[in-house]
Amino acid sequence: MARVAPRTGDAIFANVERVNAELFTLTYGAVVRQLLTDLEEVEEVNKQLDQMGYNIGIRLIDEFLAKSNVSRCNDFRETTDVIAKVGFKMFLGVTASVTNWDADGTCCSIVLEDNPLVDFVELPDNCQGLYYCNILSGVIRGALDMVSMKTEVTWLRDVLRGDDVFELQVKLLKHVPEEYPYKDDE
Amino acid sequence: MAAIYSLYIINKSGGLIYYKDYGSAGRMDTNDSLRVASLWHSMHAISQQLSPVSGCLGIELLQADTFDLHCFQSLTGTKFFVVCEPGAQHMENLLKFVYELYTDYVLKNPFYEMEMPIRCELFDINLTQAVQKDRVAFLGR
Amino acid sequence: MIGVGKMKQYGNVLDKPLNKGKQEVSLSAFAFLFSELVQYNQTQVDNIGELERRLEDAGYAVGARVLELLCHRDKGNRRETRLLGILSFVHSTVWKVLFGKVADSLEKGTEHEDEYMISEKELLVNKFISIPKDMGTFNCGAFVAGIVRGVLDGAGFPAVVTAHFVPMEGQQRPRTTILIKFAEEVLRREARLG
Repeated sequence: MARVAPRTGDAIFANVERVNAELFTLTYGAVVRQLLTDLEEVEEVNKQLDQMGYNIGIRLIDEFLAKSNVSRCNDFRETTDVIAKVGFKMFLGVTASVTNWDADGTCCSIVLEDNPLVDFVELPDNCQGLYYCNILSGVIRGALDMVSMKTEVTWLRDVLRGDDVFELQVKLLKHVPEEYPYKDDE
Repeated sequence: MAAIYSLYIINKSGGLIYYKDYGSAGRMDTNDSLRVASLWHSMHAISQQLSPVSGCLGIELLQADTFDLHCFQSLTGTKFFVVCEPGAQHMENLLKFVYELYTDYVLKNPFYEMEMPIRCELFDINLTQAVQKDRVAFLGR
Repeated sequence: MIGVGKMKQYGNVLDKPLNKGKQEVSLSAFAFLFSELVQYNQTQVDNIGELERRLEDAGYAVGARVLELLCHRDKGNRRETRLLGILSFVHSTVWKVLFGKVADSLEKGTEHEDEYMISEKELLVNKFISIPKDMGTFNCGAFVAGIVRGVLDGAGFPAVVTAHFVPMEGQQRPRTTILIKFAEEVLRREARLG
């Protein structure tokens, strides 16, 4: 069976249905606001945003695979490259870049300049500990989990906290491919 | 006219989450279809191990005298397979299309719980349209 | 209300020019986010009525902000004072900005003087959603009803706004109607203005 060539982020984004980013930004704002009202503690909101992101990531990964035609990535470098160049573009319409590789090739940074989640947003004084975009860290972690990669995703830089870009550190903890016989077979 | 006999979707643990029979004589009841799905899941996994080289993606096509079976497995482990008339064309494209319908009408449904049986009206409606189109396409040959 | 967007000593967000509203994201990104919004709210409620209310409340804040944004950017800070004006604004301008098209129809209710209906063959937010049979007439469009209520309220036209599925003859899928019931004071004012 012929393998179809992988598609670029731009090509996919041009071909999918798109909506005004403002609808997205304002809806995300509504989500954060609801969480702040329900949970009150900023740390709890951070955790919940991450969890919601995870729930999205485990579903979003299949659309990513279906539309991008990526085949199994050979290494973690390829994986993060495809997240930054194809993933972010096809969903959020923005490109990210990958930097700061460690010697092992298991830890790197994904850097975002544009971020449609944060248009018009400023953190008020009583929310300084909030990672407003924490849903993104969960999305990446959830998506990679579904393709057998356990990762840790943390924020290194955040524009809403005064930095000039958004920087997410993605660290591969382990590769856990499912091999037959599966552990829950009789 | 090439016909599709049945369509199955199995989650990554081998559980049957969708089964649609298109009027074939071999229509199965619930227990049978669950068992068949589970067996296929194991066979698919074994086939990957039988491969002389690593990185095998498992059975993609099974040909028998009365039917062909085309199987597509996503990198997330979900399997889509179709039992069809021998020599039926374009089944891989159909499976890929069903995969996309799954990513739209199942995974974006807030009332769908992951890994559970699919009960999404919009998925059914769009799938029926897709399969009918496929049949119609063959009529024109 | 906890304010996202309040003044901060070292930020310059207010000096940043409003973008033209042309940036886009994929529909999928919005759909996944909205699906998670619904799922989260499901965990916070005991019944469908409460779920509807929470989705409407979430939409309300969006509506209030959309009104500010559009009045400033698209209408040069002009304010609608007449009922038909604000309805037209919602049906055309707000819908176009948020959903990429004007709403399918705007009708006055036949049975009650204070009711108007904006209808859509399929709301954007519902595009990928199939309501389970055991949830009856529940409609995730409650979020959109909330948006409309937020716009109307902010513009000085308080109303009760709800979303309903309306089965259509010969159609497999029902259409959605956003039912707007204006407060008495709105109708009295409208009558005074002639």
